[in-house]
Amino acid sequence: MSNKRSLMIRICAVLALILIAACMMVIGRGHTVYLDNKTLEYGGQTYTAPYKVTVTVKGEQVAKLYAKERGSADNVGQRFEMTLKVMQEKNGDETTATYQVKLPYKMDGVVINLPGYFAGLPEEAWLSEFVSLIPEPSAEDGEVPSADEFEMDLGDEF
Amino acid sequence: MKNNNSRKNFLSFLANNSVPILFILICVVCIPVSGFSPSYLINEIVTRMGRNIFLILCLLIPIMAGMGLNFGMTLGAMAAELALILVSDWQIWGIPGVVLAMILSIPFSILLGMLCGKILNMAKGREMITSYIISFFMNGIYQLIVLYMMGPIIPIKHSNVKLPRGYGIRNSVDLIHMRQCLDNLLAVRVGGVKIPVLTFLLIGLLCLFIIWFRKTKLGQDMRAVGQDMDVARDAGINVERTRIISIVMSTVLAGFGMVIYLQNMGNIATYSSHSQIGMFCIAALLVGGASVDRASIGNVFLGVVLFHTMFIVAPKAGAMITGDSMIGEYFRVFVSYAVITIALIMYETKKRKVKSQAGKQLQLEQEQEEAAANE
Amino acid sequence: MNETLDKTNMSVRDRLSAFAASFGLPRLIIAAFLLLLFIAAPFVGADFWTQISNTINRFSWNAVMVLAMVPMIHSGCGLNFGLPLGIISGLLGATLSIELGFTGPFSFVMAILIATPFALILGAGYGWLLNKIKGGEMMIATYVGFSSVSFMCMMWLLLPYKSPTMVWGLSGKGLRTTISLEGFYDKVLANILQINIGNLSIPTGTLLFFALLAFGMWAFLHSKTGTAMTAVGSNPTFAKAAGVNVDRSRLLSVILSTWLAAVGILVYEQGFGFVQLYMAPFYMALPAVSAILIGGATVNKATIPNVIIGTFLFQGIVTMTPTVMNSMIHMDMSEVIRVVVSQGMILYALTRKTEAAK
Repeated sequence: MSNKRSLMIRICAVLALILIAACMMVIGRGHTVYLDNKTLEYGGQTYTAPYKVTVTVKGEQVAKLYAKERGSADNVGQRFEMTLKVMQEKNGDETTATYQVKLPYKMDGVVINLPGYFAGLPEEAWLSEFVSLIPEPSAEDGEVPSADEFEMDLGDEF
Repeated sequence: MKNNNSRKNFLSFLANNSVPILFILICVVCIPVSGFSPSYLINEIVTRMGRNIFLILCLLIPIMAGMGLNFGMTLGAMAAELALILVSDWQIWGIPGVVLAMILSIPFSILLGMLCGKILNMAKGREMITSYIISFFMNGIYQLIVLYMMGPIIPIKHSNVKLPRGYGIRNSVDLIHMRQCLDNLLAVRVGGVKIPVLTFLLIGLLCLFIIWFRKTKLGQDMRAVGQDMDVARDAGINVERTRIISIVMSTVLAGFGMVIYLQNMGNIATYSSHSQIGMFCIAALLVGGASVDRASIGNVFLGVVLFHTMFIVAPKAGAMITGDSMIGEYFRVFVSYAVITIALIMYETKKRKVKSQAGKQLQLEQEQEEAAANE
Repeated sequence: MNETLDKTNMSVRDRLSAFAASFGLPRLIIAAFLLLLFIAAPFVGADFWTQISNTINRFSWNAVMVLAMVPMIHSGCGLNFGLPLGIISGLLGATLSIELGFTGPFSFVMAILIATPFALILGAGYGWLLNKIKGGEMMIATYVGFSSVSFMCMMWLLLPYKSPTMVWGLSGKGLRTTISLEGFYDKVLANILQINIGNLSIPTGTLLFFALLAFGMWAFLHSKTGTAMTAVGSNPTFAKAAGVNVDRSRLLSVILSTWLAAVGILVYEQGFGFVQLYMAPFYMALPAVSAILIGGATVNKATIPNVIIGTFLFQGIVTMTPTVMNSMIHMDMSEVIRVVVSQGMILYALTRKTEAAK
């Protein structure tokens, strides 16, 4: 009886831990969001970039993007909320609005094209995965750890 | 008469606490010589307390079960590192990442702890040297996993974790998105000293757990096993199982402690973070006045403060005195080892003394019995 | 009569399993692994004779240090994890010999002579300590070794060495981490009667030197003092009753072991060509310990054949795995294999149900 009960408690504990772990995996997933203020061509139409976009995430101004510029913000979780202050033309009026974007779980770096997003195009038009063009820094920390670097080494020449 | 008695008490107090007293003396001499400002020193010590106490507390449980200093706590550290490598490859950031790493380290820790406990049960009476060798052996296995199996067998995606050759983990893994996230949450600044409240809360919880655990049935069993295995077995305690549980608990807690330690450091030295950790934790515990068979929470706190004060000031003080900064670095390593050596020697001599006293007692009783029988 | 009958009735399989049991399963696996490596070597393009020479060379460097394990195991002090203490005496001898201006082969003799008093004094202190803590020798030995190495790290910097070949060029004080032995006793033993046939080269002198020491050890163990020492190891109560001074026997074994370690490191250096200071001796006990265990010794039993077989097997694996593994699967797993094999062997020995004499 008590054996059964303790087994039950144990199974529940393990399940609870797995549940917490799963939650953590969802809410803790970090993304880097890249915001592009670039003119977009889609479906034969051109969406021009506004003169200036000021990006605020969680009350912090992360970037001031003029046309053809890119800014980035770190975000934890799949719900990305940003407040954008858009100025269409130089010295024109500013409109402020808050947007929410759902980020795909699998992408580490997410590129959002703002003109496309404003125009309300389908997701595939303005959202893409960030691919680093810079080759990986291989010289700096890249070398294979050699025997000497193991603290456990049993003396140099044994 | 009374005077004599109190003097004797004082002397035995000195003898019982010789290591902490010696350390206080070292610190008293070295602190002014090093020329560090008090606020810098306090800041450093508070940081190191937050970083290390959890790890050191995990040593208390095997001591309770009479298994000596658990050099096998390195296994928990390895489990934590495996978990953190995975978590950082999965790009889980911040507190959720830390929590996930802790949970993920549990199965590894339990597995390693059970293995370690089983082996230690086969080597009763020489637990310490065996657990010490286990940590070396497991380090080989750890390298096998991290250096060869991560990549082809265990998927690792990100190139900032993986070596450019396509398999294996880099020498150092950056935990930039987890860096000090526990310490910074709820952190309080008191006169320029940052106090990581949340970390200390976790430490407090563990202390409460240990105090509570001592009073449970299992805790009592462990103490009985630690006192005398044969007596405990006669009393119906499953000695082997109790010993394995104590090692598993210690390993799991060491895994948590290592996650806390590494989130404070902000990066993992993949192939060396764990190898020295056991030694420094054990040295710190012993500096706090613990012995191989008796250690309290107070020992842990005192030990961390004294040991790390020495650790911070020794290189600078050594450089001031001898003109060579390496002297101080070697000095603190030497002191760590010497403290462990002295503690081990004191423990063994005490054990022998008790044994020979018991033997004499037995002899006396036998003689008396014989005399009675003869009459 | 019955016994002989039983023996003839034993099937081949029984005999084989009996042989395996007496030889020890892990040892069998290691020997088979090494054999496999030797067989595989020519196929992956490694020259067989070069490999053999390397193995023999390494054997000759390390054998004396493994031999140093024997006396302490015999007297029941367990595995000498405190080997670094002896190594430090050897290093003191090596550095002082150079400092005092001796060169060539003579510097090797002087290094041994200078190391001897250090080994005797340190060994005596160490032995005295181990007599105080019977039963807990191995752990304390480990930490005595560590403490002494880290203490000497400070001393290498502080001691007033002057010889320009040894101190740091810039500051003119403090010893370097590695000191070349060229012009001193580099290969001094190995060059005696060295045999070179094609790719095979055998350092006869070093092997002879080891043979001399091994024979000395064998003779000592069969002398009156030696047998008394063995008696102390196998049954201290009986030895005490027979009138043997237990503590003195143990002390003697520790001193002997320390001295052999001192000579062992000097032999190693002459083969390797460099003196390594500071943290280098730190883990040197472990390969020696695992080598003698691989050779068939247990925590309280060891013979000269154990030393020879064990050193050969261990060094064979250490030399063969990198070349063979590398060319076979293009991964250098030798480091991992070395750690797992050597530490696994020590673990195996520690968990055997051979109650250490207390």
